[in-house]
Amino acid sequence: DRQTLVAVLQFLRRSNLRESEEILRREARLLGDDLGAAALSPASAGLLAGSGSEADPGEALLGRGTGAAPGAIGGSVATVATSIGGAVVVEDQPDVSAVLSAYNQQGDPTLYEEYYSGLKHFIECSLDCHRAELSQLFYPLFVHMYLELVYNQHESEAKSFFERFHGDQECYYQDDLRVLSSLTKKEHMKGNETMLDFRTSKFVLRISRDSYQLLKRHLQEKQNNQIWNIVQEHLYIDIFDGMPRSKQQIDAMVGSLAGEAKREANKAKVFFGLLKEPEFDVPLDDEDEEGENEEGKPKKKKPKKDNVGSKSKKQDPNAPPQNRIPLPELKDSDKLDKVMNMKEAARRVRLGPECLPSICFYTFLNAYQGLTAVDITDDSSMIVGGFADSTVRVWSVTPKKLRSVKTAADLSLIDKESDDVLERIMDEKTASELKILYGHSGPVYGTSFSPDRNYLLSCSEDGTVRLWSLQTFTCLVGYKGHNYPVWDTQFSPYGYYFVSGGHDRVARLWATDHYQPLRIFAGHLADVTCTRFHPNSNYIATGSADRTIRLWDVLNGNCVRIFTGHKGPIHSLAFSPNGRFLATGATDGRVLLWDIGHGLMVGELKGHTDTIYALRFSRDGEILASGSMDNTVRLWDAVKAFEDLETDDFTTATGHINLPENSQDLLLGTYMTKSTPVVHLHFTRRNLLLAAGAYSSQ
Amino acid sequence: MEAAKMASPKSAPKDAQVMAQILKDMGITEYEPRVINQMLEFAYRLNWAMGIYSSHAKKSSVDADDVRLAIQCRTDQSFTSPPPRDFLLDIARQKNQTPLPLIKPYAGPRLPPDRYCLTAPNYRLKALQKKVSSTAGRITVPRLSVGAVSSRPSTPTLGTPSAQTVSVSAKVGAPVSLAGQRFTVQIPSSQPAGKSATPTTPTVQNVLINPSLIGPKNILITTNMVSQGTASDPNPLKRKHEDEDDYDTL
Repeated sequence: DRQTLVAVLQFLRRSNLRESEEILRREARLLGDDLGAAALSPASAGLLAGSGSEADPGEALLGRGTGAAPGAIGGSVATVATSIGGAVVVEDQPDVSAVLSAYNQQGDPTLYEEYYSGLKHFIECSLDCHRAELSQLFYPLFVHMYLELVYNQHESEAKSFFERFHGDQECYYQDDLRVLSSLTKKEHMKGNETMLDFRTSKFVLRISRDSYQLLKRHLQEKQNNQIWNIVQEHLYIDIFDGMPRSKQQIDAMVGSLAGEAKREANKAKVFFGLLKEPEFDVPLDDEDEEGENEEGKPKKKKPKKDNVGSKSKKQDPNAPPQNRIPLPELKDSDKLDKVMNMKEAARRVRLGPECLPSICFYTFLNAYQGLTAVDITDDSSMIVGGFADSTVRVWSVTPKKLRSVKTAADLSLIDKESDDVLERIMDEKTASELKILYGHSGPVYGTSFSPDRNYLLSCSEDGTVRLWSLQTFTCLVGYKGHNYPVWDTQFSPYGYYFVSGGHDRVARLWATDHYQPLRIFAGHLADVTCTRFHPNSNYIATGSADRTIRLWDVLNGNCVRIFTGHKGPIHSLAFSPNGRFLATGATDGRVLLWDIGHGLMVGELKGHTDTIYALRFSRDGEILASGSMDNTVRLWDAVKAFEDLETDDFTTATGHINLPENSQDLLLGTYMTKSTPVVHLHFTRRNLLLAAGAYSSQ
Repeated sequence: MEAAKMASPKSAPKDAQVMAQILKDMGITEYEPRVINQMLEFAYRLNWAMGIYSSHAKKSSVDADDVRLAIQCRTDQSFTSPPPRDFLLDIARQKNQTPLPLIKPYAGPRLPPDRYCLTAPNYRLKALQKKVSSTAGRITVPRLSVGAVSSRPSTPTLGTPSAQTVSVSAKVGAPVSLAGQRFTVQIPSSQPAGKSATPTTPTVQNVLINPSLIGPKNILITTNMVSQGTASDPNPLKRKHEDEDDYDTL
């Protein structure tokens, strides 16, 4: 403390902030090198740091811990601190840099146990209605205090602190605690970026005003000043006006490594509507299609419009403008594809609780637990598997075999003017059902077909994302950017763009013709494990091992939504076809449903007992299918799950919804496989459900 | 490999038992048996480093400082950690400020510039010292885009214009998929004949060669090509064996 204060004074003097220095000196009652009590150092923090988080700025100045620690989110202070740490050579302060860039210690380490047990006692004796909310403090305080002890090398205190209090924490934090128990020395923390990020970021808690007043009053009593400083230092308390939340409500929303989401994090406008499909005439040359025209009209060539939502000519207020992000133009082949799509859509089965889809399961045999990624094309003609032996294998699911383009020798011999030149360029001699693509040097963790079926992406532990051509079955590009394992990748629904997320805690947006990423989405505290595009290609959802889901705007890279509530790393994401909702699955076996527009959790589907690796909505959004490591596929009624949402002012203001316990009602069916975990789900254009997984014999 | 149970305590050496216990303390319950061997190897290497440092410091026994130093050196060499958060936020801010680039229409397959792609040939052809009269000029055959059949324009080769022997140097173990897809061919004038991997015929339209120049040569080329077929991977190697007299590789 003493060192910090003098260092701050030094900095102020160097920056010629004479007035601030005088004020600080006066308040700290410094004459020469004397120092006041630690409680006065907050005054300096009040000057240096930005505005506090609480409603009362005066109190913020007094009550805040020294803001010189990197915990200040403003960033400017952090840079100041690091610049001090880097540049300053202070005559009488030997370790300024260590003090400023290291964790700032509040109070006496040997008394940490006292502080914590004092707080624990207070919370346990508080009123029932407040206790649930105040109990949220236990976990972040425990972790931060422990990490501080470790970082400042008070090993024995850290150990006894851990021993005494780790059993009090909620059960869903057990995995974190196990990791923490192995971090006993400062050196252990050095390589662990997640723990370092956790230390320097503030854990967000949402507490009602009444509970907060209670807490503040208690902690500002003189003997509790130290723990108040600690609370101020590491926690961001987002206050809301209203009833304190019940334990059940809290339990639904907490669990992430960063606490909950601040209210303003979820207030940005999100264009969740779909882009208008271009309208063009469908040549009705199939006579059998005409036969289904029930209106009895004469068989005229009536152009069939896309029935997704272009009924009104007006712009959907929730849809992004067409040119918000540049998208590739439609080629002729794309138009033909769309025509096919519409024809298939006309034959689509309408699903519902009375009409469940049939499920066709593709089992990968003899994969020896090496199947790590699966994808199926939109028209369900090809299936790709990424394997731990670094191969990517493409199969044709239809009787039509996989053909690659002929070599130059043969190409020169064909007649280029013939109508079926596109067929003639394909080589029949090497046609096969399976093509194996070699190139990666590590297990392939994610695969994605392009919408036009010309390209295939695969991402791997070797840190690269590879683009393969499905016409020549060769590798075209290796995109290097993540230097660490890349866990997931996906093409945009319109092609050209793709997203990848990996161990370096960022997701990157690429375009196939740029060798560097176009956007970098940084903000997660731990690995990005799952990345998905929104149907309108303007937003990207990323699920992470820090148990949050973030929604990012492609246009400017901003994080527009943060969803917390899962208790384990997220492994699957699915947007509903209408773009309004997001379903997420994690290792905790729950599927959570989110309303993107309001930024709220709207449903929780319990039933699976193991990690959910696959989630998919049916083509019109009526059914949500989930596949899990517990060898089952479950179907849920999506229409009913989203149907009655209370969106009155209270819920939108505070974000608290009472989730009904209706998982059982929403569950339409559970389908067991023979010891085959489900890795991928896909609804065909006619709403047949395809599933894929590798048979594992134990 | 199936997930293994721990090695039976009776038969495993003490070190392995200790390692198994450490894994259990860390909460790892399922692992392949080879994991223990890998961890032990890692530990032995650390021990060796520690021994070196402590003897360098002329200490009688290994102490905490040696351990620390050994760990630090090993981690710096073998492991890197991802960049820290503020750095990531900083570069993200920079990258995200630039607007998204506009997409040019009608651009064919949208790929990065060729030097960033993996579409270049990974072998060169060796000239064959056969009895063919040399031509007047050097002929450079542009690359043929065999791959993407879409409207990718053929690019003129930027081959080295000097008179060099072109040799086959197919990489061993090159991916099968890359074989013969796109290649640069040169027929330097100093050599009697260039081995052309391009089975060109005068009728191929995107080859910018004056057909008259390659008239006689062409026949030679195609006859040479007959055995080669589709220039697949084993054949360049095979040709190397056939060529007894000329082994200079470039």
